[in-house]
Order: sequence, then C-alpha cells, then structure tokens
Amino acid sequence: MSTQSVTITVDGTPIEVNPDRMLLPELLDKGFSIPHFCYQESLGSDGNCRMCMVEIAGKKRPQISCDTPIVAGMEVRTRGESIEKVRRDILELELINHPVDCPICDQAGECSLQDYYMEYGLYQGKVDKKEKHHFDKHIDLGANVLHDQERCVLCQRCVRFCRDVTHTDELCVAGRGDHSYITTIPGETLHNAYAMNVTDLCPVGALTSKDFRFQQRVWFLATSPSVCHGCAKGCAIDIDHAKSKYHDDTIYRFRPRKNPEINGEFICDAGRLSYKETQTYLLRTCLAKEEILADAEALDRMKAILTEDEYPIVVLADANLYTEELAALQAFARTFHAQLYAPLEAYHDPAFGDDWLKSSQRAANAEGVKRLGIATEMPTLNDNTLVINVNHPDGHRTANRIDLLTHRPDENTERVPARLTLPIAPWVRSSGHLINEDGIEQYCEQVLRRNDPTPTLLERLAHFLDKGDDTILDNMETAL
Amino acid sequence: MSFTWTSAHRAELDALKERYPSPKALVLPALWKVQEQEGFLSLEGIEAVAELTGYSKAEVYGVATFYTMFHLQPQGTYTLQVCKTLSCALNGQGTILDHLKERLGIEVGETTPDGQFTLTQVECLGSCGTAPVMQVNDTLHEHLTPESVDTLLDTLSDKGGSL
Repeated sequence: MSTQSVTITVDGTPIEVNPDRMLLPELLDKGFSIPHFCYQESLGSDGNCRMCMVEIAGKKRPQISCDTPIVAGMEVRTRGESIEKVRRDILELELINHPVDCPICDQAGECSLQDYYMEYGLYQGKVDKKEKHHFDKHIDLGANVLHDQERCVLCQRCVRFCRDVTHTDELCVAGRGDHSYITTIPGETLHNAYAMNVTDLCPVGALTSKDFRFQQRVWFLATSPSVCHGCAKGCAIDIDHAKSKYHDDTIYRFRPRKNPEINGEFICDAGRLSYKETQTYLLRTCLAKEEILADAEALDRMKAILTEDEYPIVVLADANLYTEELAALQAFARTFHAQLYAPLEAYHDPAFGDDWLKSSQRAANAEGVKRLGIATEMPTLNDNTLVINVNHPDGHRTANRIDLLTHRPDENTERVPARLTLPIAPWVRSSGHLINEDGIEQYCEQVLRRNDPTPTLLERLAHFLDKGDDTILDNMETAL
Repeated sequence: MSFTWTSAHRAELDALKERYPSPKALVLPALWKVQEQEGFLSLEGIEAVAELTGYSKAEVYGVATFYTMFHLQPQGTYTLQVCKTLSCALNGQGTILDHLKERLGIEVGETTPDGQFTLTQVECLGSCGTAPVMQVNDTLHEHLTPESVDTLLDTLSDKGGSL
C-alpha cells in the first residue's frame, strides 16, 4: 500500500482504512455487514441498486457506500433505526413484483435478497400476490443459464461480467423503469466459455444453472476446497457434495473458489461441468483380460507378474495424478527396476486453450511431473515390455500390460484388453498436491467418502512398497 | 437482409461526428436515421449503429428498447397515436379508442393486416385545450369525434400508401 491509512469512525469505533478505496469494499473487508447487490468484488460498484446505504455525519441524506470515497475523519453509521428503515424501504421496492417463490427457487439458502429480508426486512407486505406484475420465467439464455425475470433485482452484475470480463457483450438491460429486464439480443444466446459464472454472480435466483436446477437444496451440501483437474491452469474450486438418503456421497456442482493468483473468482464452463466425469463410468471390478476377478486375486496375480516375468517394465503415469502419487510411483518404479514415464503429448489440446483460464495443456499436474524429473516423452513400446499403465490416455497401445484405471475404457476406442485391470479411485476420492503451469502449488482435500471400496492409487501401491522406504518423502521434498 | 446507410444519412452522421468527443454520442441520432430509413429498428440497423458508435450491439439494443418512440417491429404506413393522458381521457379518449379498435379490427399495439394503420396510445401530446387528440405520424388531429375519425381514416385510406 503506497498511501498512508487514515482513521474514520464506524458505528462509534475508530478504524484504520485505505483512503484509495471506496467505503463499501473497505468496510466489508473490515468485517462490517452492509447489504449490497450491484457491488461485487471482481466487477466493482455500479451504484444502481442503492442497497448499500450508510449514514455519514454532515450529509443530509444516506449515501451509497460503494461509491463514496473515504475521507479522513468521516463518521459512518451502518446501524441504527433510521438507516435500517431506509434499507427496509429499498428492500420493499425490490420485492414489489418478486414472486417470493423461495420454496422452489434454487438460490434459496444462498440468496442475498432472502438474507437481507431476514436481517433488515421483516415488514408486512403491502402488495397482494394477485396484484404483482408478472414477467417471463425460465428463459433459456443459452450456455446452461436460465433466466427468471421476476426474481431479478437488476443489479447488472451479469451484464457487467459479459461486458467487462469476457468482453462478449451478450446481455443488456432492455426497457425502462419498472419494465426493465435482462435479456440477450433477440435470436442470440450467451456464447462465451465462461457464461455460467453469471449464475454465481447473480445475488438472487434470477440466473440459475440448468445443470444444478432442482437437483439439491443448497443447505444439504457440504463444501470441500479443491482444484479443477480440467487443465494445467489449476483453478481453485469448491466442490459441493451431499450424502442424502438412499444415495451415496454425490457431487452436485463445482464452484469457483477465490484465488487471486490463479482464477480470481471465476472458472470456465468446461471445468465447472467436469464434476460429472468424476462419478460416471467408473471402473469398479478387477479384470483378467475380460474375466472378472476378486480384488485379492488380482493383487496376487499382479505381484506374480511383476516378480516372475522377465520382461523389462515401463510405468506410464497419468499427468493428472497428485504429486504424492507420482512420487510413490517413482518409488514403485525403483523397487521393480522399471522405467517411469508420464508422456505429456496426449494432453496437448490447442482447441481448448485460450488466453485466460483455459490452458491447452490438459494435464493438471504437468508441472509436478517435470519437477519430479519424470520423463515426459512416449517410450517405444512393444510386447516384449511389460507396461504398467496408470490411467494414461495413451497407455493402452500394447497387449502385454497391467492397467490401473479410474474409468471403464471407452467402448468406442479400439483397445487390446490388458492382461490385468485394477480399478483405482478417481481424484475426488483422494487428496494431494497439484502444481499448476505457473508453478503455484495447491492442495486438494479428499472430497467424497463413498461406500464403494475402490482403493486409491496409494493404497494399491502400498502392497508393493517397502514400508521403510523413505524415497517417496525425498522425492516429494525435491518437487515441492 | 443487411442494412446500408443512405449516402445522405451517412453524410449527416459524419458531420455530426465532428461535434462530439466520442462517436458514442451519435447513438440516438443514428437510431433515428435507421428508423427514418426502415420505418422501424431492425437488428441489422442496430448492428450498423453499434459499428458506427463503438457500442456493443446489446448496449444499442438496450437504448432502443428504453425509448418508446423507437419501434422494434415494422409499423403501418400511418401510426395512430391516441393521447391517453388526463384531459383527453376526460374528454372521450375512450370512445375514440374503442371506435378505432372496432373500425380497424385491431388492439392497441397492433397493425392492420394490410399494413396501413398501427394503433398506439401515447402520453400527453401537449394539446389539452383541444382534447381528445391523436397524432397521425407527424400531424396532430384535434377535437376528435367518432365521425371525424371516420372521415380522417377514409381520407388516409384513399391516399393509400403515400402520405
């Protein structure tokens, strides 16, 4: 901070603040609760919602704090009978034509309008439900975003996101006064790769995700911090999951988690929807060629193959594995005198990349692979080599191999059955570190604790490694 | 269908451009020119305005929907704008409007199938002393009665498409 902080008085308490910022962001950072719709950290303030009114000594009327510069010595009141009446009146205006359909609204439980009503509203409504004006509901704006004009408070966060952040300008406010509504140009849709962020930005239930619509009440969701595995960018995400009656622990959505170093407060739509891949088409049984095996039997056979066969061994590792798992694979390779490779070519996808949050390197831990010193080229393979394929997308080319897979192989791709196939748990069911393409290291919590007993890769490898082997830790230290 | 400015309009807008620090100031005059040219604002016209002013198409669309005197749908040859404000309302605007609806067979906001008349209601036309009044395109008609409206519509129909 270049400028010196100044002292202002808020609700009778003197506090030190940065005079370069507006009042609202500074007060929110200091832990004051001030209702607001149009101000959003990444988008700034717009001054259109009038919700963030505070009283300032010496000013005749309450002021919107999002657009009030800080002046040394100013006296601000965020509480008190008169300012709370102002807030109640503004809320009442916002709610005149609101359908009050919280019981069927996906936003209920994380809705600013609902929270503020409970905190500042609680007035007796003057408008009969029959008198309310109706607007269009469930309009498909495209890109999995549904719009309910009746619930909208016209804060324009979505419009500003499309204008200032993605620069795609699909949305606008049409009409005037109380006839205003958010819309795309007739015949056009939201068409940017980040469009679903507007559903997070929307403070109310006006923009909801078609994917999450009517799936789960938000108060049943548990949140685990994690990192998106969609590409090497490594956007920080929160994973919302719930274990409801008669269902196993299930992920319902990915949401961006704030990380100013990487993704700010946003993620791309592809990453947001990639939660589906973590819980569909999972491999659950061990196979020998195409015959189903018991888990213990499969492990025994794997041990036999590894120790008895004379073939040189090559391990092909998925570059999406956690650094811990890669380090364990290094120890595994050393134990069995195998060569470890994590060929990166298969993850290169120029069509996916852009200049913001999407990287054309689709492997989440490509940087971790490099730091551990694992070879990244594809070795020449033939059936005189035993391949241990750990979930690598190009690992199925030769027949003399053992597969450790998270997902059932795609039936449409031509694939020689492996000698032995063992399932391993997908990334949401284990924990570990990822290093993104800019070298930023992040930790992913274990998200799901499912009834399904599929072991993680580390649990699999533990059968083959010497318990006293310190090399894994040494490898980790080199990498991190 | 694409939109091209007439050379006269283009020249007028170019001259106007000189007056303002930013071409964004031209958004309203440019929308007027489009409406003059096409009778309404087509999406192609809106795109042309966006290109001229540097606004996005969505922003220009927002402006176009803000003002009631911009039309986003094709209008009839004659736009009948019946005043609905107090003086006219007290002096029989309702009768005039009902008569128009019955004679033309359309509701407010609609256009006759032959494309001759569009019926709209507007706020005060500033002629309370001569209420009820109605503006047909740019001409004000005062002291309306159902009979005088009939005569007026007959004359307009006879003229056909030309003003």
